Amino acid sequence: MIERITFDFQNEIEQLKEFFGFDYVAIALVQSPERRFELKWTFVTGNRSERYRRIKLQSGKGVAGLVFKTGKPMYVGDAESELMGPDHFNYPIVIAEGLKSFGAIPLYKYNRVKGVLLVGYRKKSGLTPLQFEEFKQQIGPRFGPFYNKEMVTDESDE
Amino acid sequence: MNRMNDMQLTELLMKLYSNSGEAIFFFDRDGKVLSMNKAAEEIVSKDVYEQMMQGRTDAICLTCKGFTSSEEMQTCVSCYMSDPEKNVGSFQVYFETAGRGIIPYSGSIQTIDAEVGIRAFMLRDLTVQYKTQEELNEKQMMKQVIKAQENERKRISRELHDGVAQEMLSSLVDLRVLKYMNVEKDVLKKVEQTEGTLMRLLDDIRHLSVELRPATLDDLGLEAAFRTHFKWLEKNYGFVVIFHPELQSKRYGGEIETVVYRICQEAIFNSLKYAGVDEVIVRLFEEEGTLRLIVADEGKGFELDTTPQGTGLGVYGMRERTELVEGQLTIRSDIGKGTVVLLDVPVSEGGELL
Repeated sequence: MIERITFDFQNEIEQLKEFFGFDYVAIALVQSPERRFELKWTFVTGNRSERYRRIKLQSGKGVAGLVFKTGKPMYVGDAESELMGPDHFNYPIVIAEGLKSFGAIPLYKYNRVKGVLLVGYRKKSGLTPLQFEEFKQQIGPRFGPFYNKEMVTDESDE
Repeated sequence: MNRMNDMQLTELLMKLYSNSGEAIFFFDRDGKVLSMNKAAEEIVSKDVYEQMMQGRTDAICLTCKGFTSSEEMQTCVSCYMSDPEKNVGSFQVYFETAGRGIIPYSGSIQTIDAEVGIRAFMLRDLTVQYKTQEELNEKQMMKQVIKAQENERKRISRELHDGVAQEMLSSLVDLRVLKYMNVEKDVLKKVEQTEGTLMRLLDDIRHLSVELRPATLDDLGLEAAFRTHFKWLEKNYGFVVIFHPELQSKRYGGEIETVVYRICQEAIFNSLKYAGVDEVIVRLFEEEGTLRLIVADEGKGFELDTTPQGTGLGVYGMRERTELVEGQLTIRSDIGKGTVVLLDVPVSEGGELL
């Protein structure tokens, strides 16, 4: 078992933002049993709106909901053409933050998705597939490699 | 009973013949056109008219597109002209007209001189009546569809809420019992994870049920249902509804409540989708026997006459629903200023206090 000391999420995502030059980084985490295991955006940096605070994510809906449900990364290179159809309102964070290109990965713990990490740019094709791949590799050892379903710690289990 | 002499009557008949809007043809036993009035001449094309004048027996077939039988819309099977002895009081027939395309007529054919075998064939234009009929049918159909959809939603929603969710809740309780039994730590961990999943699933099912049709609407009325829905909007979309309920939990007929709820829902969704705002104001109140709903946003606004964004069905559906309860729907929108949707529904004085 890897170390289970408290992890400073806020500091980590700020570093991520700095390191890759993202416009926006956010983490959604499954809340504690007392909070009915809700999925909420818990840590955010680079935000221009406070809308995320009000949102309680539903599995299978929105970016985090989809990644949470499928357990697979999601990449959108051009949100305008890929998401902005009649259903665009189903991606409130993407709209509120004006993200044009973004990627999200599941964060695993005990073989379950415990959270979702979203990174994005406010310009089209800001995030290239190549860069997203690099990001995934970079995140691996730091946040616990999601791709082989190893663990990340979060406070809610302490 | 006839207060005229034959001369006067003939004169009147002649006037009827030449000035009537109904087309009148006289046929002889063989189906040759003996005479036709002005209205009839206007119907047939020049070419057909000439052929008729030349005395072709089947000239009428060039312009007739068949009549309506119980089998077919337009058919020539057992044509009304085929049996010279047969009188048909009224049937529907289609004619290819000069300049107006194929038009439905109500036709009648009868023998007026049995000895010589002369028959009169009269046509009355049905297009306007038809259009009215069609519109009426369409409206009634739409209303039926709305009602059917609402009932079906209600059924599935109840099923989910009373059946599936209850069942899931009991397994959740069972699972919780398991936590207090003497189990290994790793088993406990797994149980807790499953509990989390189940709880989320239960929430999803409840959401689905409420989304389909909120039971609170039937049980507690508009205000309660709105509050639940607005909370849901906030959670799902981070969208804030500033709600001013002024009804003091008054109840109205089921249909009225459904219509108001659905129209409010649709109006808010439109703001959410297209106005580019993250809050709207909703006011619900009663005024002089009218239940009024106001949904206002300060968003982009749109031009009312332009082709709508999206399917355009939303506003259409809102209008149809409004008609269901004989209400009135007003939509005002200014580019850059926002949109206001106003719904007035007449209610019996005071509604029902529950």
